[in-house]
Amino acid sequence: MSCNPAIGGLAKGQMVREIDALGGEMAINTDVTGIQFRLLNKSKGPAVQSPRAQCDKKAYQFRLKHTLELQPNLQVFQATVTGMIYSHGRVVGCRTSLDVDFIGRTVVITTGTFLRGLMHVGQSKNEGGRLGDFSAKTLSASLLEAGIELKRLKTGTPPRILGRSINFAGLQEQKGDIEPTLFAFHDTRDPGDMFHVESTGERRLGWKPGSEQVSCWLTHTTPASERIVRENLHKSAMYSGEIAGVGPRYCPSIEDKFVRFADKARHLLFLEPEGRNTNEYYINGLSTSLPFDVQVDLVHTIPGLEAAVILRPAYAVEYDFAIPTQMYPSLESRKAENLFLAGQINGTSGYEEAAAQGLVAGVNAVLKVRGEPPLVIQRHEAYIGVLIDDLVTKGTTEPYRMFTSRAEHRLLFNHGSSELRLYDHAKKHKLLSDNRLERVAKKANRITHWEIYLETSKSVGGSWAESIRCDKSTAALPAEFSAEPKEVREEVLYRVTYRGYLEREQRQIEKMKDVEKIRIPASLDFLGIPGLRRESAQKLHQLRPQNLGQASRISGVNPTDISILMVLLAARRNAPAR
Amino acid sequence: MSIPSDTIVALGTPFGTSAIAVVRASGPLAAELVRKIFGGSSQPRTIRRADYRDARGLVVDDVLFTYFAAPNSFTGEAMLEISCHGNPFIAQKILEDLVGRGCRPAEAGEFSKRAFLNGRLDLSQAEAVMDLIHARSEQALAAANQQLRGALGRQMNILISQLVKVLSHIEAYIDFPDEDLPPEDRLVVVRELEGLQASTSRLLATSHYGELLRAGIKTVILGEPNAGKSSLLNRLVGRERALVSSEPGTTRDYLEEYVIFGPYFFRFVDTAGLNPAPGPLEKRSMEMTLEQADNADIYLWVIDSTCPLPSLPLALAPRMTPANTIAVFNKIDLPSAKRGPLPQAFPDVSISALNGAGLEALQATVTKLAESFQVKIGEEIIAINTRHAHSLEQARVCLASAKDNLEQNDFSELVASNLRAALDAYGQIAGKIDNEQVLDKLFASFCIGK
Ligand SMILES: Cc1cc2nc3c(=O)[nH]c(=O)nc-3n(C[C@H](O)[C@H](O)[C@H](O)COP(=O)(O)OP(=O)(O)OC[C@H]3O[C@@H](n4cnc5c(N)ncnc54)[C@H](O)[C@@H]3O)c2cc1C
Ligand SMILES: Nc1nc2c(ncn2[C@@H]2O[C@H](COP(=O)(O)OP(=O)(O)O)[C@@H](O)[C@H]2O)c(=O)[nH]1
Ligand SMILES: [Mg+2]
Repeated sequence: MSCNPAIGGLAKGQMVREIDALGGEMAINTDVTGIQFRLLNKSKGPAVQSPRAQCDKKAYQFRLKHTLELQPNLQVFQATVTGMIYSHGRVVGCRTSLDVDFIGRTVVITTGTFLRGLMHVGQSKNEGGRLGDFSAKTLSASLLEAGIELKRLKTGTPPRILGRSINFAGLQEQKGDIEPTLFAFHDTRDPGDMFHVESTGERRLGWKPGSEQVSCWLTHTTPASERIVRENLHKSAMYSGEIAGVGPRYCPSIEDKFVRFADKARHLLFLEPEGRNTNEYYINGLSTSLPFDVQVDLVHTIPGLEAAVILRPAYAVEYDFAIPTQMYPSLESRKAENLFLAGQINGTSGYEEAAAQGLVAGVNAVLKVRGEPPLVIQRHEAYIGVLIDDLVTKGTTEPYRMFTSRAEHRLLFNHGSSELRLYDHAKKHKLLSDNRLERVAKKANRITHWEIYLETSKSVGGSWAESIRCDKSTAALPAEFSAEPKEVREEVLYRVTYRGYLEREQRQIEKMKDVEKIRIPASLDFLGIPGLRRESAQKLHQLRPQNLGQASRISGVNPTDISILMVLLAARRNAPAR
Repeated sequence: MSIPSDTIVALGTPFGTSAIAVVRASGPLAAELVRKIFGGSSQPRTIRRADYRDARGLVVDDVLFTYFAAPNSFTGEAMLEISCHGNPFIAQKILEDLVGRGCRPAEAGEFSKRAFLNGRLDLSQAEAVMDLIHARSEQALAAANQQLRGALGRQMNILISQLVKVLSHIEAYIDFPDEDLPPEDRLVVVRELEGLQASTSRLLATSHYGELLRAGIKTVILGEPNAGKSSLLNRLVGRERALVSSEPGTTRDYLEEYVIFGPYFFRFVDTAGLNPAPGPLEKRSMEMTLEQADNADIYLWVIDSTCPLPSLPLALAPRMTPANTIAVFNKIDLPSAKRGPLPQAFPDVSISALNGAGLEALQATVTKLAESFQVKIGEEIIAINTRHAHSLEQARVCLASAKDNLEQNDFSELVASNLRAALDAYGQIAGKIDNEQVLDKLFASFCIGK
């Protein structure tokens, strides 16, 4: 992990549960190595409640590495990849710095921030993708060679400080939830399934997930902090024009915060522990590219950190990313066949966004080898679908992070329904064990059963469902219902309570599905279609949507263009038959 | 190929005054429309005559209609064709009523597109259909662009940026619960929504078939018995509508007729005479006249030019001003009596309802008055079309639901759901509004990010 070992949060928490529903490891790993768990947005509805966890950074990393080592049919090897091996426009393998070549039918690249990574601390520059790491230089050249267009982005991280040197007295404590919301679906798993690494006996489960949580602490900037930042603005890498890459708006540096929101007297900061076996703390909210000496002075202006010792300075990193509209929705490159790209190299930022893409790219690399059609998750199915569709149809100009507001069908994406939403994909590609698939199917049946029951059987005045919607009370529901597991009850009540809203979403989805199903052949020459507006034709030519739904989401393409395409495609489909 | 499952409607003849106008509906609702509008089921492919009754049960026009069962129609779907009188406002009213019953205004070339997709047109016609969609949409686009560049566009941009702002506030509290945001103030949001609702309604009221024009500009013909009011109405309508008689007091009731002059739609109301000394029976008729006159937009005061100038009834005199009243001196084919001065500086026109002299001048004068009745928003003249109105109506409903959500303390994501639906509805007029715009606004107004 490059940064703060926090997993989840709004939209990201849902995404982790979606990853779990598709057999990914992130959720279990977080549950086992989490040291603080909080459910965010408790005062809002189920659709926008999201779990978040603070993990033990090292434990997270080691357990995941261990998982990989124990994975059957997976061979792990460490070396720096220096370039792709191409043959006839296709990728057939990769080269490493150890002069060991790897030949394969498909290749997945997940280089994060390492492509020509350049770190800035004030005016000082170091090559590398992460503090203490190397920078992958020749790989960028190798991608360019295949015609893949690269651009620069930038991100930053705050200083780490020594816990011992913090004066916690007077700081506000933020504790974890007493009853933690975990990420993995425990209800559809056997314990053996759940703690698979631990159950091999090679690793001990040192603690019960969610117990013995640690606290985070709240502090804030002071007028003195602002003065120091302003006086030294010219030394900041970002403000002195040293950095060319575009940074994320949702993760502004402290320089940005003071300059752009000058009317705000102070900015909130979180002190977050990095693990159980380290005394390192992360100052969430204080990312900066000021020089080290200024950082020291700055940190000392913060309540509780008057005598804090910096273990690692804050820095900004600039890196190459591959413009994501050059990929198919399978995450395979359009420019080089058999090459899949996932994670931050595609312009995203965040562990969850990277994990989601890694999962999809991995599955699709295998499907490609087998000659099967790819796994493509639709926008209305999951945040993962929104993520990939946004990337490949719209692209991005800043490090892309998921927000719930990016999803038009957010109300359907409550975290508890992830397994149900993605069941068909999981089943089709055997991403879960048979045992678990069966349990998910059973759970889905129970939910449907109760939905119908509550909607149709009478209680006082009307159906149960009506009384739930009317007074929102669930006190008087049948005893058999109360006996169902929490996961079932919560989903049923959600669906019943918000039926009107959820149905509106469904209607919109149905409308969209028709166009989504109409595929656009790869050979279609958009520029030669009569009647299509020039601007649209060029956009379509450039982005090459694979179906009409995708085409309709491209900015600048209007309903008339879609109508014309629909007629044209129908005509083409019918042509050979006549 | 799966076909959209909604029912579309459009005018099948060019918009304008022609002898008849054809309104077409295509889609699954067609049969139900026949049942609900005309009563009873209909034999496919037979022309029938009936009254078109709107959703409130009022007769809009006497029409011919034909029902086509799927797949034996132009589009291959169930279809309903209605031929009404060529008055575009009648056609508009019918269109509006069909939209109110669940139909959607068709997009450019959509009927042909459906016909093609349902295999009703052969392959060689595909390009023709594409050209048609293109051409129609260019026309529509040109018209729409003209409006969007103008006053409507400016209004829409204001509405959209206000709504984006409201939505971005709601979204900020959803997506960034851990941030140091100022406390959420729902009352402010409610107030902003009220503003948006009001602006949307105001815009909606400028619709060609909106309030003023839906009802027509109400023009009441009044005057003494036998002045020639009914004769004038018949002249204006162009046919024998009112009973004309030399017997004073023939019109006991009131009569109304819809007429178009230039761009305006008038509802002429012929009233019983204003008898200075009414008998018991006339008294009731007079009351009705005054009732009609009470909420009129324009008064045509018909004066028999062969008689001395009568006085205005006291009850009406204060409402009649030079801005809303025309003095019409009738019977100029006869020798006129000596004319005294008018009680106010009303514009005046001299006509003969008998031979039609002066009628054009009257029309021109009426039209001029009507101009002042056009709805103005911020000094700009806006008139929106059926499709715009349909979208604005949707937006208005969604804004109202969002406001309900807030007042009932519902979860923010439900408020947002309704606001997004409203934004989509605005987007149907002004072009798609990307989620990105909401995020842009959000990051511009809040210091977010740790
Ligand atoms: C400074 C910084 C702060 C961040 N803060 C946060 C945060 O607070 N929260 C959050 O969610 N996200 C944060 N991120 C983003 C997050 O770390 C990344 O988005 C995410 O880790 C990307 O995952 P990835 O798998 O794509 O790449 P990475 O996690 O970067 O992994 C890339 C891996 O590829 C290896 N590699 C690279 N090049 C080669 C090569 N040529 N040959 C062999 N191996 C290679 C690297 O050694 C590395 O292990 C931060 C990133 C940075 C750089
Ligand atoms: N000569 C002449 N007679 C008219 C004219 N307009 C109306 N009349 C006659 O006046 C009488 C009354 O007309 P009518 O329209 O019924 O008057 P109302 O009572 O005001 O509705 C009828 O005999 C008409 O033929 C006109 O312009 N010239
Ligand atoms: Mg009369």
